Amino acid sequence: MPQGKLSLSKVKRAIQRYGLAFLSVAIAFAAAQLLAACGFRGVEFPLFLIAIAVTVWYAGTWPAIVAIVLSGLAFDYYFTEPIHSLYITRAEVPYYVMFILFSSLLTWFSSVRRRVERELLQSRDALQKEVLVRTHQASLLNLTHDTIIVRDMSEVITYWNRGAEELYGWTAEQAVGKQAQQLLGTVFPAPIDEIKAELLRTGRWEGELQKTKADGTRVIVASRWSLQRNEQGQPIAVLDINNDITQRKRGELEIRQLNQELGKRTTELETINKELEAFAYSISHDLRAPLRHMVGYTELLQKNASSILDDKGRRYTLMILESAKRMGTLIDDLLAFSRIGRAETRETMVSLGQLVREVQSEVAQETGGRNITWRIGKLPDLYGDRSMLKVALVNLVSNAVKFTRTRPQPEIEIGCTDKPDDGLVVFVKDNGVGFDMKYVHKLFGVFQRLHRAEEFEGTGIGLATVQRIIRRHGGQVWAEGLVGSGATFYLSLPKP
Amino acid sequence: MSAIGRILLVEDDPRDTELTMTALEEYHLTNEVVVARDGEEALDYLYCRGKFQTRTCDNPAVLLLDLKLPKIDGLEVLQQIKSDKNLKIIPVVVLTSSREESDMVASYKLGVNAYVVKPVDFHEFVNAIKELGVFWAIINEPPPGSIKRK
Repeated sequence: MPQGKLSLSKVKRAIQRYGLAFLSVAIAFAAAQLLAACGFRGVEFPLFLIAIAVTVWYAGTWPAIVAIVLSGLAFDYYFTEPIHSLYITRAEVPYYVMFILFSSLLTWFSSVRRRVERELLQSRDALQKEVLVRTHQASLLNLTHDTIIVRDMSEVITYWNRGAEELYGWTAEQAVGKQAQQLLGTVFPAPIDEIKAELLRTGRWEGELQKTKADGTRVIVASRWSLQRNEQGQPIAVLDINNDITQRKRGELEIRQLNQELGKRTTELETINKELEAFAYSISHDLRAPLRHMVGYTELLQKNASSILDDKGRRYTLMILESAKRMGTLIDDLLAFSRIGRAETRETMVSLGQLVREVQSEVAQETGGRNITWRIGKLPDLYGDRSMLKVALVNLVSNAVKFTRTRPQPEIEIGCTDKPDDGLVVFVKDNGVGFDMKYVHKLFGVFQRLHRAEEFEGTGIGLATVQRIIRRHGGQVWAEGLVGSGATFYLSLPKP
Repeated sequence: MSAIGRILLVEDDPRDTELTMTALEEYHLTNEVVVARDGEEALDYLYCRGKFQTRTCDNPAVLLLDLKLPKIDGLEVLQQIKSDKNLKIIPVVVLTSSREESDMVASYKLGVNAYVVKPVDFHEFVNAIKELGVFWAIINEPPPGSIKRK
């Protein structure tokens, strides 16, 4: 109960104050009586005044008034004629008026004096508090990593925080009082007059400045200036906050250089790409023409001159035809391969199940009525270039068909496993002739073949094409195999 | 060079020309073929100028056009033909080695009537030429103003 406590202490304090009034008057009365008994007369008046003075000094105005009343009554009753009576003779009236006036004056002076003293104490306390807060704030400024400098209008440093000391290397004692721009060797991005004009006009300025540390190294700082004005509006000081951005500027410079280099490389690559395109075009057009002529004339030879050719001659023409056709296939495959690298991908949602069915019916022509067991698992939809993905699947499935040719019971399985890290993983598995894992690294290279041409035909571009397509989709290809036990090819594709 | 001809073959390679002629021989269409060896000669023929000044200036029934040609290439010839009000009615078949999509797209954009890639396989080549010749020179009714069949 703080309220009750408060009023209790108030009552206690009132009792003390009024008690003092009674006590001091009582002591003055006792002293006056004692002195009167000893034959001293006329001292009671100043004695009561002393009691009133003590009361007003220590207990305040109201107890003093009580003391005045008490003193007046005691004086009248005990010390003026007729004694032991409150009767006041006419001749005594001025005497009492004087007493009351004098004691009132004493009370008034004393209370004024007390009030002034109290106010003085209060303002001293407030000042002390203010000093404490300010000191605390100043020490906070010292804590910041930012560099804070205050300089007056003639550029002389008046404040230098610890951040400034850490950045530039001079202590506050060394820096304060020095000319700022001279000490720091500041290099401005614009004429100093323009900067100062802006500062005076807007009260602010910010920009990047070069400065020199105490050890002579150069730093680039982001500098923010704020102008302080006095009550008359005249500028008196500049608050200057600096951040060291040397590292950042260096980084920016590096990034700019790298970007320039990248731009140059891109242009170079674009040129190379264009050259490659022209090259591919040239192959497409010019290389096929002589081949067509070789085939054409050889066939004409076969048709028109077969009667004069012997068996050997006929075999030779057959070999020429076969080789030329093989070269035709090679050129076509190579062109298709290079086109995948050059063409832009057109990505849509692709139903993998639908795509596999299409591929199956396309490849069915190659199976030549063989009894292949197909096992097609549940296949998802994914996001990709439909025609490219089809090329990849055709390559994988026709490989599976090709390499199971020697099996009495060929089996081909196509499915999908869902791995959280790899996205979707599609696999094509066969029980064909397989391959030796020793050569797995060669499997996806251009023109790399793991079988002799007379065993299994092929140009060695198919799997390279598959890899290129899947990589363009942001996926990976890999394979597992065992000689005589089949092979499994995996494609990982990002989930839609 | 014969001044009459219902098929204008624009082909710079004499071997391709010979093979094409061999294919057309079967349908006795060789007499109807005029060969231009580059784009300029093809345009001279169509506009009846230069060495073709004296020919009766009818349009061929069909134009078989290679794309890669000396002087003026096939796409330029095609553009010229399709922007001329008298020539643009001639059916034009691009007959080329190029499988490039860009060539195909450019040709169709310019208004080509057919785009045929010359196959490496001779049988296929012969068949393609035969079919082209039969279709455009025999079956197809050419636009008015074309050279009449002999």
